[in-house]
Amino acid sequence: MAVLTKPAAAAPAAVPRPRRSRRRMAGSAVRVVVIVAVCVVALFPVYWMILSTFQPESKTLSFPPPLFLHGFNTGAISQLFGDQPIASWLGHSVFVAVITVAITLVLASFGAYLLGRLEWHGKLVFGLLLLFTQMMPGAMIIVPELQFYRSMGWTNNLPMLAVLYAAFNVPLGSWILKSSFDNVPDSVLDAGLVDGCTRLGVLRRLLLPLSRAGLVAVAVVAFFGSWNDYLFASALITNRSQYTAGLGIATFISQQDVPIFELQAAGVVFSLLPVIFYMAVQRYVVRGLTAGAVKG
Amino acid sequence: MSGAWLPYLLVIPILAFEGVFVLYPIVKGILTSFKSQELGQSGSYTFSNYSRMFADPVFWQVVRVTLTFTALVVVLMLIAGLFIAMLLNWSFRGRGFVRGILSIPWALPDIPVVLTFLLMADPNFGILNRMASWLGFGHHNAFFTSPHLAFASIIVLTVWKGFPFYALITLSALQAVPDELLEAARVDGAGAIRRFRSVVLPSITPTLCLLAVLAFIFSLQQFSLIYLTTGGGPGNDTTTFSIDIYNQAFQFFNYSYASAIAVVGLFLSVIGTALFVYIERRVVRSRS
Repeated sequence: MAVLTKPAAAAPAAVPRPRRSRRRMAGSAVRVVVIVAVCVVALFPVYWMILSTFQPESKTLSFPPPLFLHGFNTGAISQLFGDQPIASWLGHSVFVAVITVAITLVLASFGAYLLGRLEWHGKLVFGLLLLFTQMMPGAMIIVPELQFYRSMGWTNNLPMLAVLYAAFNVPLGSWILKSSFDNVPDSVLDAGLVDGCTRLGVLRRLLLPLSRAGLVAVAVVAFFGSWNDYLFASALITNRSQYTAGLGIATFISQQDVPIFELQAAGVVFSLLPVIFYMAVQRYVVRGLTAGAVKG
Repeated sequence: MSGAWLPYLLVIPILAFEGVFVLYPIVKGILTSFKSQELGQSGSYTFSNYSRMFADPVFWQVVRVTLTFTALVVVLMLIAGLFIAMLLNWSFRGRGFVRGILSIPWALPDIPVVLTFLLMADPNFGILNRMASWLGFGHHNAFFTSPHLAFASIIVLTVWKGFPFYALITLSALQAVPDELLEAARVDGAGAIRRFRSVVLPSITPTLCLLAVLAFIFSLQQFSLIYLTTGGGPGNDTTTFSIDIYNQAFQFFNYSYASAIAVVGLFLSVIGTALFVYIERRVVRSRS
C-alpha cells in the first residue's frame, strides 16, 4: 500500500488522484456492506423478539419458522395483560427503579465530590473501599444478605430492595461522576469560592449543574441495574403479589403453562421503558460514561 | 477555613450505607463459611467447608469454567468492541442512527434477551436450527442443553448482550486520537496497518485496559444470562462461581458451604482486579 501511494506524493495532484479516490470509494462501499451486515446480525434477535410477539400463533410454532410477519396479531399482548398481573409488576419495577436512581444520584454525588475535588484525609482508603464494593459479585453476598434481610424483616419489601440496588450502584456511580466533576475547569470553582459559595454550595450550584451528562449516565446505570436484576429479587421477594416485572417474567420460563407468544409479549413490554429511556438520553450517556475512560 | 469538616460529614452516609448493606454481609459471609452447622445452630468455627470444597472435583471444574468463561468473554468483548468502533470511526450519513440501534442489545434487559434466545435456539422450531441446517449442521441442535454447545452458547449470548458498551467507549477513545499524529504518520509513508499499530493502538491502550477490567468484573458477576438459559448445566459445564453459589444455597440449602465458595470467588475477583489495575498502571507509566 505504501509503495502504491508513493508516486502520488512525488507527482502531486496530477494523475494518481482519481485512482486513489476510486480506491477510497471501493473502501467505503466495503465498509457500508460490513456495517449493514453487522447491524443485521447484531439486531436479528431484537427483530425476532418483536416478530414472534406479533406473529399469528399458528406460525410461531411451525418448523421452519417464517422469517417475516404473516399478519399482525396483538392477541399476545392483550392476553398477557389479561392473564397475568403484569401491570402491577411493572408498577413495582418502576417504583423500585425510581427509588434506586434517587438514592444513587444523591450518594454518588457526595462520593464523586469526595473522590475528586475535596481534599481530605482518608481519600485513598475511601477510593479503594469503593473499588472493592464495586467489584463485589452479587452472588458472593447473596446468602448473608438474605440472612440479614430476614433477620430485619425486610424480605418482600420493595423499598428495601431498592436500597440494596442503590448500595450496589453508588460505587460505580461515584467513579463515573468523579470524571465529570474533573472536567469542570478549576477556574469556575475558584470563582465560586471567591464569590462566597460554601463547599457544599460549590457542589450544588456549580459541579452538579455542569455535570449533566455524568448525572444522566449514573441514572441510566442505576436504572438498568435495578430494572434488570433477577438475583436479589428472586432471593428477597417471595410473595408473588410483590414481584417486580423481571422476576415475574423470569418465573414464566420455568412455568410450562405460559404460551410462548405471551412470554415474548412480556419481554417486549418489559423492554420498552429501558430502550426508550436509553434512546432519549443516549448522547449524554456516551459523554458521561467516557468522560473518564478517554483521556488519551 | 470554613467547611474543612465537610468531607467527613459527607462520607458518613456513604460509609453507613455501604457498611450496612455490603460490607457487613461480606464479613458475615466470611464468618458463615467457617461454620459447620447450618443456619440457626451455633456451631464452633471449623475448616470443614474448605477441606470439603478443595477435595471436591466439582469445585475445581467450577474454577476452570469460571476462568475460561471470563477470559474468553474479556477477549471477545474487546475484539468485538474494537471491530465495531473502527467500523463506526468514520463519518458517514446516519452514523448516529447506526450507533443508536447497535446500542439496543445493551439497553435491553437480560430477561427478554434470555426469552428470545431460548426461543431462537429451540431444538424443535427455533430459527437457529434452520440456519444450522442451511450450513449443513443438521437441525434439532439443543444449543443450551447440549454438552458441546452450551458453553459456547452462553459466551455468544454474553458477548452479544454486552458488546455495545465496549464499542461505544472504544469509539470515543478512537475519536480522541489526534488527527495530526495520524496525518504525520501518513506523510511518513505508514500504511493503514502500521498506523494502527504505532499510532492508534498505543493511544487507546489505557482505555482498552480499563475496559478489560470492567469486562472481567462484569463477566464474573454474570448471573441471569447463564442461570436462566442453562442453569449451570449440562452437568456442570456452564457452572461459574455465581451459579454454583446460588445453586448450593437455594437448591441444596448448604448456606455455609455456599459461603465458602463465595469467599474463594471474592478472593478471585480481588486478585483479578488488582492484577488488571497493576497492568494498567504499568502500561500508562511505560508510555509516558
